[in-house]
Amino acid sequence: MDNVTERVKAVVVRQLKVDPAKVTEESDFVKNLGAESIQSLELIAAFEEEFDIEMDEEASLQVKTVGNAVKFISQVLKEQKS
Amino acid sequence: MKVLIFEDEKAKHLYPLTYLRPVWELRCGISTLLDKFKRTFSDDELYFWTRPEIVPLLKRKYGKPVNEIKILMGKEGLILVNGRWLLGTDGFAIPAKEEQGVCGETVLYGYLASEKIQSDDNLESLLDKVASLPKKEVPAKLINYPWDLVKYNSETIKEEFKSLGRKGIEGKMAPESVIYGSKEEVWVASGAEVHPMVVLDTHGGPVIIAEGTKVFPFTRIEGPSYIGPDCQIVGGKIREGCSFGPGCRVGGEVEESIIQGHSNKYHDGFLGHAYVGEWVNLGALTTNSDLKNNYSTVTVYGNGTLQDTGEMKIGAFIGDHTKTSIGTILNTGTVIGIMCNVVGVGHLLPKYLPSFAWFLEGKVMKGFGLQSQIETAITAMSRRKVYLLPEEKDLIAYVYETTKGERLEAVRKSRG
Repeated sequence: MDNVTERVKAVVVRQLKVDPAKVTEESDFVKNLGAESIQSLELIAAFEEEFDIEMDEEASLQVKTVGNAVKFISQVLKEQKS
Repeated sequence: MKVLIFEDEKAKHLYPLTYLRPVWELRCGISTLLDKFKRTFSDDELYFWTRPEIVPLLKRKYGKPVNEIKILMGKEGLILVNGRWLLGTDGFAIPAKEEQGVCGETVLYGYLASEKIQSDDNLESLLDKVASLPKKEVPAKLINYPWDLVKYNSETIKEEFKSLGRKGIEGKMAPESVIYGSKEEVWVASGAEVHPMVVLDTHGGPVIIAEGTKVFPFTRIEGPSYIGPDCQIVGGKIREGCSFGPGCRVGGEVEESIIQGHSNKYHDGFLGHAYVGEWVNLGALTTNSDLKNNYSTVTVYGNGTLQDTGEMKIGAFIGDHTKTSIGTILNTGTVIGIMCNVVGVGHLLPKYLPSFAWFLEGKVMKGFGLQSQIETAITAMSRRKVYLLPEEKDLIAYVYETTKGERLEAVRKSRG
């Protein structure tokens, strides 16, 4: 498991207060992990803080699963490095 | 005579109330500042000069050119009038010759002869020409900051009621309702309904209820107050100095406050010494403070700084399309931008929330972005059969972009 994935999962567990065993790359924040709309926003804010990145509000609305988040954040980190 | 109503640079001091409208569309008394200009210059053709981002919307709404010099040229002279001038009912004497009327450092008006208006002029050059004219000091009420509108509201209602010349019960007033005080100080317009068990208290001033408004039982309205058209007052304690624009739903306690229009404060909660924009929804028990516990003067965040208003009673200033949750508590002198989403946390919110920001779990957040907020606005407006114009949408997008910096800064600060 790469570092980004590990950190994303840690944030999800902390924010949504879910069992780490239930958090997989396929986990949908709302359908599987029970995130309410407000928690979705808090999750985005937590990702931004964890990775010190800016996530565009509208683009981040498309981040619906743990896997999406890992991909999105990895891309942002790559863009920021370059 | 051509009259050009213009915005000077201080229109921005009235943010967030003037993000989506020119300064002259703000309310004070029974009408907007624009209505007062129309009343005063009823025999003249009015033209307008505003911030560039507002021009398309005004052209659409007014059906005439805005910020255009060619229509100001001609055989007649031009009177430029500051849009922040709160004109009284005593009229305005067109000067016989070129002059500028000033109130302290502020140009209230300038009369320029026709030959001075050139095709390559703009507002700045016209005002430069005005600045060279002989000065006349004119006592005037100027709207410098949002709280000035609230400060002048009561006396303006009284003055305008006198000049309106309308009184009496033209609509319906249930026999079980009471006018407590002079009956001469009430006007219930045709189509308005005052239900049983309502008290209209005119001891402090007139009570005006405009057409189509319904005042439901167990409401007390204290004058001077103006309830605009098609409002619903649902068992409220409407204290003195209130003005509500069209289509408002108001309950709970409201004092010395202005609501621009189409906003809801349906439920209990206190709103005092406040100015609320359009399409705002204040959730149940939303309450603002308008007086500090030590009775000191109130500071308000504006133009990037905290400024001392010099006033003891200052409430909140809430931009268009903002929503507050149930139980939101606003500190004395709070400013909330447009299109914010505020979720109360059981204690006072920060005194300033930039436009489009969300406040959740005690932190400032970015929210769901522009499109989501526009969709919410469209939904809210369509419930009242009002539709967001493309030009309004573009203006909202403009404000979103121009407030991005301060919003992101507020988010960062909030994270610590």
